[in-house]
This record gives sequence, structure tokens and C-alpha cells, in this order.
Amino acid sequence: MIENNNSMVNIFVMGKKHTVPADLTIMKAMEFAGHQFKRGSGCRGGFCGACATVYRKKGSYKLQGVLACQKQVEEGMIIAQIPFSPSEKKTYNVDKINANANTFLEYYPEIARCLACNTCTKACPQDIMVMDYVQAALRGNITLAAKLSFDCLGCGLCAMRCPAEIVPYNVGQLARRLESKYIEGPTEHVLKRCEEIKNRKFDDEIEALKKAEKEKLTKLYNSREIITK
Amino acid sequence: MKLAYYPGCTLKATARNFEVSTLESSKKLGIDLVEPERWNCCGTVHALSKDDVMHHLAPVRNLLRVEEMKKSGLIEENRVVTLCAMCYNTLKRANQVFNTDSDKAKKINENMENETSHYEGTVTVEHILETLKSLSWDALHSKIVKPLSGLKVAPYYGCLLLRPRGIGIDNADNPTIMEELLKALGAEPVDFAYKQKCCGSYHTVYMKEVVADLSYKILDHAQRAGADILVTACPLCEYNLGPRQTEILKRVTRFNQIPVIYFSQLLALALGLGEEATVFGENKPDPRPLLRSKGLLKEKNSDDRE
Amino acid sequence: MTEYKSGYPDYMQESLQKVADSRSSRFGKEFTPMTAEQRQQILEKFHPDWKPQMKRILRIGPSKGMNIPHEVADIIEAHPMIKPEEIDLSKIDYDVDLLIIGGGGAGLSAGILANENGVAADQILLIQKLRLGDANSKMAQGGIQAADTINDNPAIHYLDVIGGGHYANKPDLVEALVKDAPNVIKWHESLGVMFDKNPDGTMQEIAGGGTSRNRMHSCKDYTGLELTRVVLDEFINKEIGYKEFTAAVDLIMDDKEQVSGAVLYDLENEEYHIARAKSTILSTGGFGRLHIQGYATTNHYGATGDGIVMAYRTGAVLRDLDSTQYHPTGAAYPEQIVGQLATEKLRGRGAQPVNKQGELFVYHLEPRDVESSSYIRECYERDNCLTTPTGMKAIWLDTPMIEKVNGPGTIEKEFAAMLRNFNRWGIDIRKEPMLVFPTLHYQNGGVEINANTETNVPGLFCAGEVCGGVHGKNRLMGNSQLDIYVFGRRAGKAAATHAKKASSGKLTLNHLKRYDRWLEEAGIITDRKSPIILPEYRGKRTLEHRLKIM
Repeated sequence: MIENNNSMVNIFVMGKKHTVPADLTIMKAMEFAGHQFKRGSGCRGGFCGACATVYRKKGSYKLQGVLACQKQVEEGMIIAQIPFSPSEKKTYNVDKINANANTFLEYYPEIARCLACNTCTKACPQDIMVMDYVQAALRGNITLAAKLSFDCLGCGLCAMRCPAEIVPYNVGQLARRLESKYIEGPTEHVLKRCEEIKNRKFDDEIEALKKAEKEKLTKLYNSREIITK
Repeated sequence: MKLAYYPGCTLKATARNFEVSTLESSKKLGIDLVEPERWNCCGTVHALSKDDVMHHLAPVRNLLRVEEMKKSGLIEENRVVTLCAMCYNTLKRANQVFNTDSDKAKKINENMENETSHYEGTVTVEHILETLKSLSWDALHSKIVKPLSGLKVAPYYGCLLLRPRGIGIDNADNPTIMEELLKALGAEPVDFAYKQKCCGSYHTVYMKEVVADLSYKILDHAQRAGADILVTACPLCEYNLGPRQTEILKRVTRFNQIPVIYFSQLLALALGLGEEATVFGENKPDPRPLLRSKGLLKEKNSDDRE
Repeated sequence: MTEYKSGYPDYMQESLQKVADSRSSRFGKEFTPMTAEQRQQILEKFHPDWKPQMKRILRIGPSKGMNIPHEVADIIEAHPMIKPEEIDLSKIDYDVDLLIIGGGGAGLSAGILANENGVAADQILLIQKLRLGDANSKMAQGGIQAADTINDNPAIHYLDVIGGGHYANKPDLVEALVKDAPNVIKWHESLGVMFDKNPDGTMQEIAGGGTSRNRMHSCKDYTGLELTRVVLDEFINKEIGYKEFTAAVDLIMDDKEQVSGAVLYDLENEEYHIARAKSTILSTGGFGRLHIQGYATTNHYGATGDGIVMAYRTGAVLRDLDSTQYHPTGAAYPEQIVGQLATEKLRGRGAQPVNKQGELFVYHLEPRDVESSSYIRECYERDNCLTTPTGMKAIWLDTPMIEKVNGPGTIEKEFAAMLRNFNRWGIDIRKEPMLVFPTLHYQNGGVEINANTETNVPGLFCAGEVCGGVHGKNRLMGNSQLDIYVFGRRAGKAAATHAKKASSGKLTLNHLKRYDRWLEEAGIITDRKSPIILPEYRGKRTLEHRLKIM
């Protein structure tokens, strides 16, 4: 439960001390202290990974990785942002790529250096089992790598901390595209509907609706059948 | 009998025949090999550098998984069986480091802080050959339905199954465990001078000529000793001695190809299991013509390569 | 194993108990949907759009006379950021076939489709004022609509869209939207998007507010994230040109009265660049960060309505900006996440809006404007609400009901984002309901386009939330994710075709001078400048002591 009080706390942003309201998130606290984000702020809602932030608290050696927009400030936080994670995302033609057990090693051979040290998992602000999905990729298990990496925002914290210099989120992205396109494959009824549209099956009906007067549309709309579960 | 089983990466990807033949044979022999739900790459030989404790996290984490399996009742004893010689060597040596150096042990556990328990060092790492031996060769022999009579088999041990002392499953200079297995299967083991010489290992990636040279010597000696076929216990050795024969042919024109398979495939054959367990179709060169000529395989399969 | 402690303050516990107690009697029940008359009444009485004092008549330009929120009028009735005499148009830094302004779902897919339709990758420049992909697109949670099942078809979808939009939608655009929809899903699958599927391999599809069929395709509740990151991955695979942290501050025209590019502004270097382009696509998104009527917003940092301003300066027509969408279920507690989106999919899977007494008070899936008005009524007229420690009124969204309806484990499987985002603040939405209140969400109107995404200004195309006419006066759930890919793809194709035959004349910024005259003629004296590019959130002390020395 979040205590609501009017107290202030001291935080250190890139070494500079600021006194800020205790109930702010790191992001809002930095703005309160006068910083305007250009880098380091994106969706502000925990979905894009732009605000990857690391901090230690006075009295603890532990280095924490969080999203600045989703973490409340605490007394003694020593904060730095990592708005960019350098990596070479390998390019490929998704229609021609081979989806097999060796694909990951082909594009990202460095995953063989994985030490299974779990530092990536500890760094992840989304509680993803990063080591496990890298290991799954190492063994060529596309489905498991895709499933485990799904909630990844690509914030970059795992890559910055990995001692083997792997960039897990690039591997995860490849796994998910391969899983959907090649392991699961396209959905029958979607393809079927596309064909029907191409053959103009619904054109007349829609043409009639386009031409209909507002009164007619209103009637149709209000009396339409609703079949939802 | 339920035992923990650590597969390792290669068995899941390219050495399927090794895993399938072993699992099926074990089932027939009443051993249930149970894989942990979560496991990671053992780290292979990179895990063993002395000055680098971090590299030991990978194998020790797998041993922790075995302890977890025992605690939740999935297995009866704290034993883990491996098939791949590299995984065997890595896990056993990391276990030894853990149990002999308490400082390193402490560091390793501290760095696995996300785990729900610490590794206590109670696991025994064994190779499937040791497991089979512990059941007694006589007991194994009694379960054989198709003795491999007339098949001259040269057992190839390679390096990591035998070295260093204290880790190896047998005497490094003159091992006999595979010969014992082969006799129990009714085959005729063929001794040869190169059975524990290195196959070239990872040189196969960038220096194929080194592997071609070493493999040729191994295979040539086995052939001169009268072997029909070689068996091995390591996926990298199998690759260097089997599929890499194409590299030998480029350099030694008079070389006659000879099949190289996993010992577990012969075990499966001798236990009377079919193609879905022996998986001979995935070996190169194809061992089936040879086995057929010895009367050990009857039908001709549709994807046979002559 | 620590016992779960309620995430809510003590004074809310009594109401929470009532919600828990009434759950079994509410199970399987639905409040009666409103009639058309009831819907109209509640909108007029409670919807923020219907507060006349919060809006004013637009006084300049081709769409003057439109009654729009003050905050939107403030950025439109404002001077350009740049003075033409300070900009050297003779040195062209980027000379391309296609300039895309805005890198969300619409912009990225426009780039890919333009490339597929003959524009070389290095002849496309996509500029993005934040990181590539950082847009409202990534934040969508619940789903994307497409009529691809046996008991549904695009004509039924059409009726849902136009009815939900209060019949103000442009028919051609609705037709494009619903007919392209299944193809968009097909395209996404071909790129490798992981949609939620049923065990038999068919698409898992749910209902949204105002939809008469289950046609919402989802990727857990990370739908926007999954779609955007796959399209982004493909965009990078094609090696299409792009520049991040670079905004457009105004469009450039030429002596043939076409749009021929834009003045770019590098946010970090604080320098401008000139980009000349045969086709320009505006895919700049929405305006949530204008905080209309002081509302918190679901939108991302850069949603400041830049596109409508820049387009208007060239003479493009705007429409339906009198209508703003408030999403009914914005988080209201804790204070740190106020305004953030809680997906409609929650209601689609059984979560019920419930008042302080634990009672149902509205059908859970009315169209968004009606649903929002209903929550506002429950709080402000009927006072059947909670008040948060920061003074915000809110009602409950009973999320534990989802587990009761669909079985335990549903939330963990289908609402990973919501579970995680509330867990961070000590609230387990499987055990306790959420506190919600309407939040500023979507720009229903915008720059008018035709089905080919052309505006009335040659050379200028628009796609995505910046456009008006697709959704009429109210957008349905899942139609924005659809909109950006339908019209993003169309814009790419149309812009590619245009670029093949277009040629730029002499570049000019005279339209900016014309704009200043419009303001002057309308008697508007102001020092407001736009587009504002980023909202101002810096602390008071900093703003009062600003000094530009270096």
C-alpha cells in the first residue's frame, strides 16, 4: 500500500542532490527538479522501455534496474538513466529466413557465451526470465524463447549488464516472429475472409450502407443483433 | 527406477539420435530418466577455467535443479545422469570444485540469489555408461533379445569421458567400460591404439584439416584392427568421426568410409527396439547397409542412402 | 509466503468488502444497455465535450467555425515556432522521395509499404521526435478489430463503426477501414505477430464497447506493443532511412502550392535541417498531452497535436475536433499512475464497473463516450463513488470477476501488463478491484483525408490518429490499432505513387507568413507558438528562473 504523505525525500540524479515530494515517480521527480526529458521518456506508462533507469540506495550495494515512470522515489536513491542500449540488430528477410534449431546461433552466435549467471533476469524491470529465454534460444527451442520473452519492452537493461555481452531482446524479437510465422503459421479463416473480400463478396452490402441516409442507418444500428460472448 | 537426466543443448538440437536411443533403451531397462523442468546449458569446457568462478554458475545451477527435483519427490536419489561426454565432464568438475573449495562454493551460491534454495553439494554426477554398469552387465545381457553376433565394434572414448583422473569414468590409458558393454550386447569389441586419442574437438569449426588428420588416424587404426563400426559417447566426437569423413576423403583418396554411431543406438538395437528408437537414419555415413549385411537389420527403409 | 495485504487505504475497506460480498450475486448478470435516447441524454449532461465553457470557436483558417477545446484552439491559434527569414531554404539537407513525420504504427507501415511500392529505402526519411516506435501505438492494450469470423463480416463492422461514431464518419474511410481489416491481420501474421489463438488454431476474439460481434484480436494485453515492435523490426530490416529525436516544426511548401517537405529540428543539437520531399506523410498521432480540461491522459510523452497545427498552416481542412475521447477506465489509484490506461478488454472478459455500494450501475460495454459519461454521473451526480487521498473521484472495476467467469489463471495469461503494472503498487488485481475514472485518451477528429489518405493539399498525406473522418465523433475499441495500419499502408502506397510523378517547385515558407496574417486579421494577439513538440512538466522553480546562456 502506498503511503500518502506530504513529506519530501532526497534523491541523487547523476550525482546531483534534489529534494522532491516522496510520492512522485522517478520520472516526475526529475521533472520536478527541473529536468526536461528529451531522451529517457516515452510512453510514461510502462509499455515502451524508453525510461530504463538504474539506481542504488544509500546503504545498499545492490544495483536495481527499473522503469523511471513506474517506480516511486525513495530516500537516498542514487539514480542514472540509460536511454540507449547500443546493439546491432541483425537484418534479415522474414520470408526467406530458415526457422530451425540453429537460426539463433546463426544470427546471434554470441548467445553461446551465456554463463547462465542470471544477471539479465535480475536487471529486467518486467520480471522476465531472461536467462531462460536466451537458453531456450541456445537450444533452438523457438517456442519457449518466444513465450518467455513476450513481455519484453526492449529497454536494454539486460544487454547493458550481461557479462557475456549478449543482447537478449534482439534474440527474443527474432524468436517471436519465427514462432508466429513459421511454427504457428497463418490462420485459415483470416485468409479465407481476405479472399472473399478480394472477390467483392461484401461490396454491395457496404455500398448500400455508404449511400444510406442517417435515419436508415440509425434504424439499422439500433436494431442490429448483438452476438457477443 | 527414477533418475534425474541432464540432456544438454546438443542432444536437443542435433544429436537427437543419441537422446532418443538412450531414453528408449533406459525405459526398456526399467530406468525412468526425468528431465528437470528448467535447465540451462552446462557451459561446456569454458566453465572450467580456474580463475573464473562465474563460469561455474551454469553447471552448478543445473545441479541445484537436481536437488530441487529430489526435494519435490520427482526422483528418488540425488543422482543425475548425462549422456554427452562434455556435459558429464563439465558438471562433474564443477561439482568437484564446489565440494572442495568452500570459498568458491559460497560465492557461487551468493551469485544465484534469485534461486529459492542454495546448492548443498549433494548431487552425484554420472555418465549413462556408469549407470548401466551399476545395473550389472549380466543383468543387461539377460535383457538382450537380438545379440549383435558377428559385429566387430571399435569403442572410441575420446578425451572428456576419461580425463582428468578423478573425473574420468575409467582408466584413461586403458579403459574397458565400453568393451564390457559391447560384450554384454553380444558384439565383439575391437581394441585399437587410438581409442582414447583426441578427435580434434572444436577445431572442426575453423581448422577442419586438423580434425581430418586426427580422425583419419583414429578410423584407420580401427579399420586395421578389424572393426566394422565405431561407437562413441560424445556428439562432437561423433561429428568429427562421422560426417567429417567427407573432409578425410578430400585428402586421402584411398580412405574407405566406416560408420560411426552412438553406443546407445547399438544398445537399442540389441534390446529389440525399432527404428524410432535406433534412429539410424540420422547418422552419416549411414550404418544401415553394414548392419543389414551382418543380418542385424532386416527391412530396407525408404530413406536409405546407399 | 507473505499474506496479501490490501493495496488500498483503510477507509476504502468498507466499500471493498461490499464489492467482494456482491460478487456472487452479480455473477452472470448484466445491467440493461441504454436506449438511443438515454445515450444521447447522458452525453449531453455529463460528457466533457458538452461543456460549452470548455470550448471556443476556431477563428482562422479553412475550418474556422468549428467548436473545439480551448487547449486545441490554443495550439492552432498560435504563431509558428520559426520565422521564415531565419531559415535558409537554399541548402537542402535531406532530398528524398518521401518524408514521413512520426514513427508510430502508421508511419512505420507507411515506410514499409512505400518501399514495397517502388521507393528506394534510402529515398525515404522517417523522422521521429522520440525513439522509433515510441508512440500511442505501443501503448494499446486490448486489441485490433477485423471481421474475419464466420458469424461476422465487414458490413456488420461498418455499421458498428458508423453507429458508434454518431453517423459523422466519412463513408469512404469507414469502407476502407473495415474492408482492409482482415488483410491487415493477414499482413501482421505474415510478418510474425503472435496473436492470441484458441487451442484449435483459430483467432481468439472478444467484444469491445459498441461492437456487435467478437472481433477484437489481441496479443495478451500487450497488443499495441506486439504489433508495433514487429512492424518496427521489419522497418529496420528494410534499412529504411530514419532520424530519431528530430521533430518537424512546420511543413515546407513550394511555388506550385504543394507540400514539399518540412523544416526539421534536432532536439538534442537544437539545430534545424531542411528536408525536401516529393510526398510528405503526417503520422504524428494525438493530443493527449494537451491535458484537455485538465484531464490526466493515457497518451505518450510526445502526443502534443503537432500534426494538426502543421497541416492547418498549409491550408488542410480539419474535422470533428469538437469531439474528444475519454477512455472510461483510466487508473485513479495510486496517484503515481493516475490516467494510465486499463484496457477495455478487462470489461470484455467480464470485469464489471461497480459503484461504492458494490452495485452494477451501467451496461459494461457501452460505446466509450456513453460509458465515460455514466461513470462521471455515478461520481458527480449520484456521489456513489470513492474519493482517493488526492481528491480524485473514482468507481471500482471489479477485476476479480474475470477469474470467476473464465477460471483462475486468466488474468495472469491474458492481462500480463495490467497484473504487472498494478502489482508494482501493491495491488493484486486478481484479488482486488481497480479504482478507475475516465481519462483523456483519443483525438477523434483531425486532418481530413480521403480513402487514399490524401488531404486537400497536394503532396500532403495523413495517416493514423492525426486524421479525422474515420471514427466520426467517437472511436470504438480496437479501431485505432486498425486505423493506423490500414491508413499507414494506404499512405505508403499513395505517397509512393505520387512521388513517381511529382516534382518540387521553388521551396517557400510563405504559408507561415500567411498564417500570421490570418491571426492578425482575426484579431488574435498572442505570444503562443506551436507546435509545442513536448509538454512542459518542469518544476515551478526551474521555469521561473530560466536563463539561456550557452
